Amino acid sequence: MSNWPSGHPEEGLLLRSLDGELPARKARQVRKHLEACWQCRAEMESLEATVAECIRYRKQVLAGLLPEAPNAWQTLDRGFDRVDAELAAAPLWKRLPRLAPAWQWGVAAVAAAALLIVAIVQFGRTPSVQAASLLEKAVAAASAHPAPVRTIGIHMRSGLPTLHTVGGAAGNWLPLPPEIRMAFQAAHYDDADPLSARAFQAWRDSLPRKTDDVKTEPAAEDPHEPCYQIRTQAPEGELASVTLLLRVADLAPVESKFEFRDQNWIEFIQVMEPPFQPDGSPVATTHEAPLRPVVPSRPAAVAPRLSASISDELQVVTLLHRIGADLGDPVEVNLTDGKVLVSGAGVSPERQRQVHELLDGAANVEVRFSQPEAALIMPPADAPATGGDTANVGIQTRLEKQLGGRAAFERFSTHVLDGNEAAMAHAYALRSVAERFPAANEQSMAAPDRAQLHRLARDHVAALETQVRVMEGALDPVLAGVGGKATTVPSAAGADAAWQQAAEDTFRASRRLEVLLSVLLGVTPGQNAAGDLPSQVLAAVADLKAGLGRCQTLLAQ
Amino acid sequence: MAAFYMSEELVGILRQERAASELQTQVAQLFEESREDVYRYLMTLGLTPSRAQDATQEVFLRLYAALKGGEEIENPRGWIFRVAHNWGLKVRARHASENPFDADMEAKLAAPAHDAEHDLLERERMLLFHRAVEALSEQQKRCLFLRMEGLRYPEIAAAMGISPSAVGEFLRRAMERLKKVRDE
Repeated sequence: MSNWPSGHPEEGLLLRSLDGELPARKARQVRKHLEACWQCRAEMESLEATVAECIRYRKQVLAGLLPEAPNAWQTLDRGFDRVDAELAAAPLWKRLPRLAPAWQWGVAAVAAAALLIVAIVQFGRTPSVQAASLLEKAVAAASAHPAPVRTIGIHMRSGLPTLHTVGGAAGNWLPLPPEIRMAFQAAHYDDADPLSARAFQAWRDSLPRKTDDVKTEPAAEDPHEPCYQIRTQAPEGELASVTLLLRVADLAPVESKFEFRDQNWIEFIQVMEPPFQPDGSPVATTHEAPLRPVVPSRPAAVAPRLSASISDELQVVTLLHRIGADLGDPVEVNLTDGKVLVSGAGVSPERQRQVHELLDGAANVEVRFSQPEAALIMPPADAPATGGDTANVGIQTRLEKQLGGRAAFERFSTHVLDGNEAAMAHAYALRSVAERFPAANEQSMAAPDRAQLHRLARDHVAALETQVRVMEGALDPVLAGVGGKATTVPSAAGADAAWQQAAEDTFRASRRLEVLLSVLLGVTPGQNAAGDLPSQVLAAVADLKAGLGRCQTLLAQ
Repeated sequence: MAAFYMSEELVGILRQERAASELQTQVAQLFEESREDVYRYLMTLGLTPSRAQDATQEVFLRLYAALKGGEEIENPRGWIFRVAHNWGLKVRARHASENPFDADMEAKLAAPAHDAEHDLLERERMLLFHRAVEALSEQQKRCLFLRMEGLRYPEIAAAMGISPSAVGEFLRRAMERLKKVRDE
């Protein structure tokens, strides 16, 4: 029986096969088909010739005719110095190692350990020292430079985000609503410039009891801009916690978030590209504009709203999950222009119909598929398995012997690869959810949304775990019979770790297992034929299970 | 016990410190090998030569900063093109008056060949191919150029903020058009 409705794989499949981008089983199906089909082989050769033409174009036109760099390339040495200088503004615990030359390994370790002991004895709690030291530097840096003109977005629990220009002639005053201003005053926090190290330091110093946490995070407005994140929690007072992000490069504050005891919160974010006039002068007027497409609050969603929130995005993602549209279909979900846009190119007509039925008419949701005629149909995989690669013939021969013949090996191969394909679909979906709702955003989500998000992630973890158990059940006895040694990997998760990171680790472990399986079963040639492949596969399974265990632990919290 | 763990952490940091000069050497080597590719890619985004050159240097310094900051980067080339893509778009948005990269490409292609290898037929073929590339949608072009630089679908997807399946679809459409030109 053919694997494709037309009897032949579509061009998209051929290209992905040529590029090595197909899952192992599909790649094997395409390769088997090409062996038998002249028409598709000619099509493949035509694609290869076009790829060769692209390479010629790159060499002759792009490399040959584009203008050369106007100046001679300089070495990066000065740039390295600049980066090193920026990193030198790191807190004490990061600077300690620089006290000794790197090559004097033993001396450095002893010196650093001694300094650490002094630091522990003197200051007691390292995060507090880091926070205090960072704030001191940031205040000094701010004092050394005049207040720059900044565009600051204010984002409150309710209401649309707004942009405001402060500093320079515009002054430092931020137009806060009276109730928020009063809340700041009640919390003894400087409401004139809440996005400043000085205000944060003054408030923090006034706390009789506090807990600090310091780590590095990318800025929300520019993921490539590393920042120090200081979060101070207070057990009493109007403010439950304040989080401040300081840019690593110059310790300038770029974000701050205030969580009040009464569940209210407010965020200040410095927009990285200030809206300057063509003559260089700042835009002086305050104006309403969407700062982020995300309104991370379900309570805000209770009142009628004009724009979609992260809650709406989560609802759409959950609904798509219910019909399985998050498992391999090229369906995109984006929060853009105040609505949740569901789109996709190459989505099958049947899937499009299902999505339209599900979401048409939903408030703030738009479904827009493009060029349905260009659908990339992914047929159900039902072709018989086959090996056939020569790189790992040794291990495959041993497996055949262990299983009792070629036919049994092919059944085994199909069973395992089917399980792997289903597992990878959930691994991709899990990672997609983790990337869409990162830990930083999750913190600002309301409790019901967080619970729903965790349920969604747990669904994928559970489905992935089921598939892993299926594969493990098949692999364990067979690989043990050819000398594979099982390993166990502890799955303990740190209390402060984020499930999103565990999901990313799980995805990587899934990918590693997929690669090893494809080599083991002869789907792709492998470079580690001489290595202990069966043990590596078993270790990869153990690693994946450990990752899933961490996900479950963190998602249960 | 806490002191023990902290010492281990410090040992790790010290190792990183000792590796700093090695890191510079590695990044400098990658810069030597890949700067022309990155520069050219930024030019195809529409940056002027001088801005493309500045942006290229900045991209490699960001790689150094990221590595020194402890970021684990499995595929530095993929990372570099992802950052170059995003940085290039930012620069382009800031300087909306940038010229398209092919402003005088057609004239160059139509000019008499400088060497015997570029005979008339070859130049004519490349001119047609170039026009076909230029006629691709922006996303098809981005996918194609990044694929030409050796990036895999997930890396292209990460650079462009789309799914790997969408990358496959954009590339399929691009190849379909280019194949027609080649077969003409």
